[in-house]
Amino acid sequence: MKKKNYYVSNPPEEYDAIVVGSGISGGWAAKELTEKGLKTLVLERGRNVEHGKDYTTEHEPNWDAKFRGQGNRKLFEEEYPMQLRSNVINEFNYHFFVNDKTYPYQTDEEDPFLWVRGYQVGGRSLTWGRQTYRWSDLDFEANTKEGIGVDWPIRYKDIESWYDYVEEHAGISGQAEGLPQLPDGKFLPPMDMNCVEKDVKKKIESSFEYRHMTIGRCAVLTQPHKGRGPCHYCGPCSRGCSVGAYFSSQSSTLPAARKTGNLTLRPNSIVHSVIYDKDTNRAKGVRVIDRLTKETKEFYGKVVFMCASTLGSTQILLNSKSDAFPNGIANSSGVLGHYLMDHHFRVGASGIFEGYEDRYYYGNRPNGIYIPRFRNINEATRQKDFLRGYGFQGGASRPSWGRGRNMDGFGEEFKKKLRDPGPWRFGITAFGEILPNKDNHAKLSADKKDEWGIPQLEIHAHIRENEKKMRKDMAKTAVEMIEAAGGKKVQPYESEYLMGEGIHEMGTARMGRDPKTSVLNKHNQAHDVPNLFVTDGSCMASTACQNPSITYMALTARAADYAVNELKKGNI
Amino acid sequence: MNRREALKRMALLTGGALSMSTVAGIMGGCNTSPSDNFTPQTLTSDQNELVTMLSERIIPATDTPGAKAAKVNQFIDHMLTDWNTDAEKKHFLQGLAHVNELSNNSYDDNFVNLGKDDQITVLKKLEQEAKDNPMNNSDLKPFFDMMKEFTVVGYYTSEIGASKELKSNIVPGYYDGCIPYSDVGRAWS
Repeated sequence: MKKKNYYVSNPPEEYDAIVVGSGISGGWAAKELTEKGLKTLVLERGRNVEHGKDYTTEHEPNWDAKFRGQGNRKLFEEEYPMQLRSNVINEFNYHFFVNDKTYPYQTDEEDPFLWVRGYQVGGRSLTWGRQTYRWSDLDFEANTKEGIGVDWPIRYKDIESWYDYVEEHAGISGQAEGLPQLPDGKFLPPMDMNCVEKDVKKKIESSFEYRHMTIGRCAVLTQPHKGRGPCHYCGPCSRGCSVGAYFSSQSSTLPAARKTGNLTLRPNSIVHSVIYDKDTNRAKGVRVIDRLTKETKEFYGKVVFMCASTLGSTQILLNSKSDAFPNGIANSSGVLGHYLMDHHFRVGASGIFEGYEDRYYYGNRPNGIYIPRFRNINEATRQKDFLRGYGFQGGASRPSWGRGRNMDGFGEEFKKKLRDPGPWRFGITAFGEILPNKDNHAKLSADKKDEWGIPQLEIHAHIRENEKKMRKDMAKTAVEMIEAAGGKKVQPYESEYLMGEGIHEMGTARMGRDPKTSVLNKHNQAHDVPNLFVTDGSCMASTACQNPSITYMALTARAADYAVNELKKGNI
Repeated sequence: MNRREALKRMALLTGGALSMSTVAGIMGGCNTSPSDNFTPQTLTSDQNELVTMLSERIIPATDTPGAKAAKVNQFIDHMLTDWNTDAEKKHFLQGLAHVNELSNNSYDDNFVNLGKDDQITVLKKLEQEAKDNPMNNSDLKPFFDMMKEFTVVGYYTSEIGASKELKSNIVPGYYDGCIPYSDVGRAWS
């Protein structure tokens, strides 16, 4: 038998729209498509996670945790090695990250790519960093001005109203600053800076032209919003938030989609590939393998939205082979899987701030401060050594008992010292742009498959000259700002950064104007297959230095609007 | 009567023939062993007693309960059983034997039988040994550092450490970035 029959026992189900993935992008696609009247099937490869009910560790104190918050080290080292290396999993949230042993991928042993994943309903929207910054034309125009990669087929004006739209629904707290490189949004009241941060802000802004410090703009509510409760400042958001104070698919987009009556959500549905119909040149639907029973089934739709995360969508598209697309659907350009990017970080500095010993704070603010990009934003800030730029994230706090691990002594005096918090420390970490490079890529493994028979991804990526030079500058400016702000014992730090650990992977199905050099057009629509849309991070033609999720949200809503209009017009 | 004195007297009474573990059993009454049903999985009962005493010397009861009340020994036994590598476990148990070696060299008695001041002197020696040989080229760390880290983590993540010694506030409800420290008076755990 030459061709495997994928639907022996299961007749295909038909929908208007199929959305692959239920994370930040998939949730938005679901909301927009269902609200516009499309019967929409959302396929999620992982288990269901019910809002509230499945946040099993929310507000769990350390003393109730089996390893007191230290995590099950043996389990993590054996089964979650890549998630562990990325430094984001802990005893209270690891159930929202993948088991690397169950879901293996191939990468270089030296200089591996860290692929951090969340296979469940809600995806990584449950555990994301919640920082939300708009892009500006500085970002959209950079590729064409510098002759790097391909020109973005959109500009700020194309996406501005969509930023407004998604921000109003998601609920973004922040402070308007009027900076051209970081456009203001539709903000809920900002969170407060603490006393040291307020002082540092003044000193940085008075010492350096073009440098600003603002409270983080984040998808955490500071007041009730669309039936969701405001933040109660417990701190560890990634355990899930049953009042829905931070944006997740569970708190925001999926409930809206469900309300329409047009949503079908199917967890445990691993999409194997997109089915291509060469007679109509359309994506006819998708092939799914049930995660639990391993049965295969087909689902048909008039339009298919790929929202399975950058590498997840790329893997599916690469695996969607046909006579017309032997190298993966919508890949006539050959760029699918290439130009993988991320944000590089793990460079920064911190210093001690004296004179505030009688001040403290109340509540665990799930947010820090932001120093927007100040390099290469105009002629005056042009750098000879590197292109693009970086922003800083950080904050001031007083260390608690954790410092006791490295503090001299023991006994009564030791205990007494640890009863008070330590000195105020202000620290910042830079997040910088990575340029697109064809050699940074993911492809299907020639011989390795997963438990469901799907070829594993093989990922090769590392940073190059521009990023390395930028890192030197990051350390330098971090130190000079903290010193100017009055910090003592200012220490720079730079530790090894591996691509992927920014968890901002982007670019493997990029947008562009030319079908020969890009996968998607300006509407996130595949150049090759008009009813196939890709709206997660894989669409990005460059990374800017801002956290990308709000841009995925805006692009997804915009693409859904376009897709529905095209459907109505009979164009797709 | 301090423990060391009590044991010396007992040894006199019995002609010194009792083994230390037998003595420990007899001395259960004024002993430090935990009163609940805890059965250590990795530590022997002697080692458990030693760990309990060491932890209490590192974070003693003051105006708030110390490591012993917070059952740091149980945390340590649990970590040694399910969390540490075999090499770390072995190293730690050797370290416990070394504590008694130091103690016997100086005071001719095991650590748990020493008076508080002598115990502190032994711990200071251990701390100095850790500073003299920080084991920088090893995956392991000096016994004293390991014991101290266990105690610090075990104590401050316990309910006693987190909410009696320090302040715990799991659902604060709001954020204020600048309040007088005197309003809190202790570090947030």
